[in-house]
Amino acid sequence: MLRYLIRRLFQSIFVLIGITLFVSFTIRLSGDPAVAMFQGASAPTAEQLATIRKALGTDRPFLTQYASFLGGLLHGDLGTSFRSGQPVAEEVAHRFPATLSLALAALAISLVLAVPLGVLAARRHGSLSDLAIRVFSLLGLSFPNFWLGIMLILIFAVRVRWFPPSGYAGPASLVLPSLTLGLILASTTTRLVRSSLLDVLGEQYVTTARAKGITEQRVLYRHALRTALIPVITFVGLQFGALLGGVVIVEQVFAWPGLGSLALNAISFRDYPMLQGTITVLAIFIAAINLLVDLSYALLDPRIRYS
Amino acid sequence: MKRTVLALVAAVVLGLAFAQPSGTLTIAQQQDPQSWDPIDTFYLAWGMIGSSIFDGLVHRGLDMKIGPGLATSWEWTDASNTRLRFHLRKGVTFQDGEPFNAAAVKFTFDRLLGPEGAKGPQQANYTSIDHVEVVDDYTVDFVMKSPDPVIITKLAGYGAMIVPPKYVTDNPPETFNKMPIGTGPFKVTEYVPDDHLTLVANPDYWGGAPKVAKVIFRFIPEPSTRVAELQAGRADIVQGIPISLADTVSKTAGVKLDPVGSPTVNALRFNFCKAPTDQLKVREAIAHAVDSQGIIDSILQGYGIPIASFQSSMSLGYDPNLKSYSYDPELSKKLLKEAGIAAGTPIGIDFIGTDATFREVAQAVASELQAVGLKPTLATHETNTYYNDLVPKNTVGNLYYSGWGGWTLDFDNTAYLLYHTKQFWNPCYSNAKLDALLEQERGTYDQAKRAVILQQIAQIEHDDLIDLPLYQSKNLWGVADRVQGFVAPADDRLDLTTVSVGN
Repeated sequence: MLRYLIRRLFQSIFVLIGITLFVSFTIRLSGDPAVAMFQGASAPTAEQLATIRKALGTDRPFLTQYASFLGGLLHGDLGTSFRSGQPVAEEVAHRFPATLSLALAALAISLVLAVPLGVLAARRHGSLSDLAIRVFSLLGLSFPNFWLGIMLILIFAVRVRWFPPSGYAGPASLVLPSLTLGLILASTTTRLVRSSLLDVLGEQYVTTARAKGITEQRVLYRHALRTALIPVITFVGLQFGALLGGVVIVEQVFAWPGLGSLALNAISFRDYPMLQGTITVLAIFIAAINLLVDLSYALLDPRIRYS
Repeated sequence: MKRTVLALVAAVVLGLAFAQPSGTLTIAQQQDPQSWDPIDTFYLAWGMIGSSIFDGLVHRGLDMKIGPGLATSWEWTDASNTRLRFHLRKGVTFQDGEPFNAAAVKFTFDRLLGPEGAKGPQQANYTSIDHVEVVDDYTVDFVMKSPDPVIITKLAGYGAMIVPPKYVTDNPPETFNKMPIGTGPFKVTEYVPDDHLTLVANPDYWGGAPKVAKVIFRFIPEPSTRVAELQAGRADIVQGIPISLADTVSKTAGVKLDPVGSPTVNALRFNFCKAPTDQLKVREAIAHAVDSQGIIDSILQGYGIPIASFQSSMSLGYDPNLKSYSYDPELSKKLLKEAGIAAGTPIGIDFIGTDATFREVAQAVASELQAVGLKPTLATHETNTYYNDLVPKNTVGNLYYSGWGGWTLDFDNTAYLLYHTKQFWNPCYSNAKLDALLEQERGTYDQAKRAVILQQIAQIEHDDLIDLPLYQSKNLWGVADRVQGFVAPADDRLDLTTVSVGN
């Protein structure tokens, strides 16, 4: 187990270097932050641009800039934002709870909806409720998240005024953005729970369990569901990365001050350190989630052991 | 008698109580500029809030006229205009109690013009100033390096906002970036990046205490969400309402739509280095093919103002007698024929893809060009790449979008940067006569004379068809009925001193 963990951590370091190298290189292809600073409102001279580049450190060769970023990273220093002049690590740390709470709430909503609905659909396979659940999940898949977000705002914030339309102020403000992400994630997860459980219910050991006279409830929850959830957990783990992608759009719609809006602003301003820092933290986070997902298999299925 | 005295005392006490700032005003704006240091920024989003925190030596009012600010008067001390003297307002303090005086003015400009300012974008606007000299505690001289007839206007600009020397020196730069202090009517008490900034009234403001006690600026990038906040009664003033939501706001009870003509003008610039727009006749044909009034009426739903040159009516150099090219597709076809342009000749139109309104405008222009026999192709780009890479390198099509605010409200700003030979955003067009006129207007402080020269420049722009001016934008604000005394600012720089909120 420990050897496995060390090997995975070692792999993650290479993944991180790959991701940060790619992000650092590509954002530098997209434009000069010194010019971007002028916002198309005044024309800088070559001399002024040179001074600004020197102050920002973007006049140095790419590999030197990247090496100093990695060097800083080892000390927990992600550099200073070109735009706000604040330490990147500090800003990322401030924003992280907002994004994490949104992602976790969305995940919780999706699981609370998807597992019971998926189980119901599998148990009543072919019935009207199965059809209704499949239609629900298909609808969820077809909604773009920004559209769903705006619709939820119009209904629950403007018309009935149960929740605030936007902002980051208390649990009430978490409801609509997490529902937007959660509903969409729930639709795919529901389908997966349903199909995975149907597969498992058809397996011989389930038939054996039933033949032994075990109650259907016990067969379902004690024997079948645990096995059926393994692909679901893999999926949810992988979806966590996609969820953080969806967060970028949803944070914009709901004015949610998280890492998504931070990364988006960093791109538009060509704030290299801020983008590098945000992506690095997200990459570490996703790598950690994937590791946890892999480790959780052993908990669900005693046959799986790591060595 | 006793009763009368009591009544009088009560009235005075009540009057005083009512004179105190009261209520909370919530404003939703699109962008958070992220740094509040005036020398770091070019964002209109900064100006919306920064104007309540800081003051300049001069002040541009809601009527767009320049008047006294922290300076009560000014004059040139010599006939050759090398020394500009400002007499400063006495008894003014920064929001942290630091005194405002000549040393603060000198500190502000030493910082702007020195190495600190060189790291930011604002220094570029003030390079005509050599240095500032303290004459006495309340008098300063600006010693000029080169003539700058727009200097007074520029001193109302972001970069020239006066900053507190002790606070700036005693704290690391990120402190001033996050918690700025000025002499303005409101003081920052809280800032949560990308979420909100809170201001409270400065009771000691030299211009009189504001009426409202607290202002919360919320940063909401999505326009539909900003409008939802207004509809839900959680925002009192909303900036940047898109035309597509204008009707929704107008029909919402308790809220009104407040359109204001902005200095921003929108045009399609002609590419002189690319055939066939290198020919005047083709440019004329295109100008006659485009129905800009039709665009204003239909796509902009009337929220636009016709223009004949690349400046608004607020700009020095605006000529009301200059008329735009008539919409005449038949004449356009005739001109194309005379120029020997075959039917189906491709015309590339480049613009910024995120601007939903201009996307429709570009599509309308394309269909009008198609109607006269050309074959337009539309290409969209990301804002920064477009302005900072494609336009300066001239890797754009025959027609390309330009939106220009002209923050000095003086045609010099637009014309010099866009028409003068080899400027950053003018990689192609060159006209010796126009260059000479631009140099001439920059060399004189006689504003009446400058207005005449700038009008001549506008005439050349029109006759040579350097660009095709389309319309002046109107900014749409949404304002709740409980807000009183609010005037939508043309330049986005809010003046909240007269605003109050009811229940």
